[in-house]
Amino acid sequence: MGKTVLIVDDSNTMRKIVSRALRQAGIDFSEILEASDGQEALDVLAKNKVDIVLSDINMPNMTGLEFLKAKAENAAIKDIPVVMISTETGADIIDQAKALGAKGAVKKPFTPDLINETLGPLL
Amino acid sequence: MEFYPKLKASIEEIFATMIFLDLTAAEPLAAGTEDLGCHVSAMIGLSGDFNALLGIHCPAKVGLAIGSAMLGMELEEIDDDTKDALGEISNMLAGGIKESFAGENVNLLLALPTTISGKSYKINTPSGSQRVIFPCEIEAGRFYIDFKYSPR
Repeated sequence: MGKTVLIVDDSNTMRKIVSRALRQAGIDFSEILEASDGQEALDVLAKNKVDIVLSDINMPNMTGLEFLKAKAENAAIKDIPVVMISTETGADIIDQAKALGAKGAVKKPFTPDLINETLGPLL
Repeated sequence: MEFYPKLKASIEEIFATMIFLDLTAAEPLAAGTEDLGCHVSAMIGLSGDFNALLGIHCPAKVGLAIGSAMLGMELEEIDDDTKDALGEISNMLAGGIKESFAGENVNLLLALPTTISGKSYKINTPSGSQRVIFPCEIEAGRFYIDFKYSPR
């Protein structure tokens, strides 16, 4: 049975590119949900069963790191794996993200193969 | 600091992996004033061990070609989709610069990108300015990468 993924990015373009990359990577997702910032992502997670989240870091309203912190404090959603997809993949920021529960990171620009390598073991 | 090789490598990687358009980056422009004939610009600020403003300036036709390729759909006007696509390129380009300099122990932070559109621009590059502008050619035409920097 296909999985449900949530893509969190303030850029509509990037959400479409990530969706396309997921399809090209050959991962079987039955549903792709979208949110434009961390707060919207929390709202989507509260209303839907999601198997994995792909989140940007630099976003207005609620950043990716703030989203991870809020998610970790919510028992109902804290175990849903999150992979960061961002231009921000320096060791300092990724260490912060992992300390807050992120399972991996993909640097923009990325290829479908890289998405597959990172997400595959988590599904 | 060597900015041009880093910018060139980063824009080539972005076009090869996520836009799928053939791109040729040329050498930086010489000092002087040039009417670039551009109508849409995406910009992003960098701060930290130096301050910089990175811009991507496109004629409408080129901006539409890039946006269409990124989104996988035909864009017909400079709308929010086109601006968002160009803003994301500036974001990835700035991220590439940040990562490249991090390897040299030069630390930078990125702002959020912004995009404007309007009539034609003229770019003034005074002799000795701390600014690098270079053209990039795709099938639809030429656009420009503009990097203006100052030490802290």
